[in-house]
Amino acid sequence: MNNNAFLHFLTLLLFKQKGKHIGAVLISVIIIFLLSSVLFISSSLQSMLLGTLESQSDFTVSRVQAGKAINTPSAWMDKVLEINGISQVAPRIYGRYFFAPREESFLLVGVDLFDEQSSKELRSLVKGLDLKSFLSTDSMLVGEGVKTFLSEHYYKEYFSFKTPQGSFKKVKIHQALPSGTNLIANDMIIMPIELAREIFGLGEDEVTDITFNVPNDAEWDNIIGKLHLLFYDVRVVEKREIVKAYENLYNYKGGLFLILYLVAMVTFMLILYQRYSMVYSTERKEIGILRAVGWSIKDILKLKFYETAVVVLVSFVLGVILAYLYVFIWDAPLLSQIFLGGANLPNHVSFVPVLEFGLLGSIFLFYAIPFLAAVLIPAWKIAVTPPKEAML
Amino acid sequence: MIKEFSILVSIVLLLTGFVFIHYLTHNGVSSQKTLSSISKITEISSPSLSVAYYEPRVLFYEKTLNPAYPQMQAMNKMDLVYEQ
Repeated sequence: MNNNAFLHFLTLLLFKQKGKHIGAVLISVIIIFLLSSVLFISSSLQSMLLGTLESQSDFTVSRVQAGKAINTPSAWMDKVLEINGISQVAPRIYGRYFFAPREESFLLVGVDLFDEQSSKELRSLVKGLDLKSFLSTDSMLVGEGVKTFLSEHYYKEYFSFKTPQGSFKKVKIHQALPSGTNLIANDMIIMPIELAREIFGLGEDEVTDITFNVPNDAEWDNIIGKLHLLFYDVRVVEKREIVKAYENLYNYKGGLFLILYLVAMVTFMLILYQRYSMVYSTERKEIGILRAVGWSIKDILKLKFYETAVVVLVSFVLGVILAYLYVFIWDAPLLSQIFLGGANLPNHVSFVPVLEFGLLGSIFLFYAIPFLAAVLIPAWKIAVTPPKEAML
Repeated sequence: MIKEFSILVSIVLLLTGFVFIHYLTHNGVSSQKTLSSISKITEISSPSLSVAYYEPRVLFYEKTLNPAYPQMQAMNKMDLVYEQ
């Protein structure tokens, strides 16, 4: 058949029978949209989080008692520093502060603002931050979620923390952190390390945990051994463990997402297969007529293949584009809560566009091949029967 | 090829073009820099999970226990998303 005539007939058929295709396109677009949205969110989060790990310390040690992390003695810092090959030993003081009246919690982080590196970084992050005025009174920097929450509860300038001793500590809300930090700092409160120590009721000789670097990677296992010999009640968290964990984060290959996708796809393909192979369907009649006017089986399969290919391509592209707009332009309302939770302060994260073309290709193949098979197999079965029989 | 089909193809191509332009022109570096900055200051890289008070907020450092069965593997709703 002439190619132009074939193309004209194919496109005419697609639009004349649009009612037949619109259902399949709609369901396909929804499935591809949901799957691509989930994968877009997960790859964006994964890439953003892995990027932040570069600036993290190589090791974190904390004291454990009965399997639970407890406050770590600050004297451990000197002992750790004595081990050869270790540098940049620093204490961390952080923890969650429970705001009982509304059952919400904030993550309080103490930062050593007299450390030149931290203060320089903070000044470049928070525009217009005057560290002198910040340090002159008990002040804090709050994440966007905390700022909104406190404003809604009439804490416009100050917030009073209740310490474990039962006293109140009034702290000035100095400034909010930029919204670009929401992924990490939405519920975060940053304050001087001594103030955080006071609010958590930590002693002068206690910290939450200790971080340090080991510049020579080959020494890492050796250092872990030395730490376990030095302290018997220690838990060591390595950066490479966290990197591995982040790489497996939202592991769609691991099960849940793949199972859900497979269930949805198999159901959809079964519906398609059943529809196209129905005994009295219009499909049978149409194929019968084409066979009766002289079309070969090959021509019919070619027509069905291209017809389905157009449906598959259009629905795939529309599904992916909708997912892109939903995630990277509208910041995935509702769906982002599955990843970031919604039980505490609401978090509005702007996702950085990350497209994994290999992944999109795999989705396309997993979707297109069953779809084509679900249409072509019944079409071939009808095409091989005599036209008279097919039209009955 | 009929006119309606050409219109459909043009719309799809236009949308694809828009997405590619957005993807290529988006400044992801400054967003990443901001996040790296806050992570460097606080030494915390865990995502700000909006979880209940009894659920772990800082991934890989905090763990929950089932108070009734302390030996049992703790399970919370975020475990369904965050494979550990």
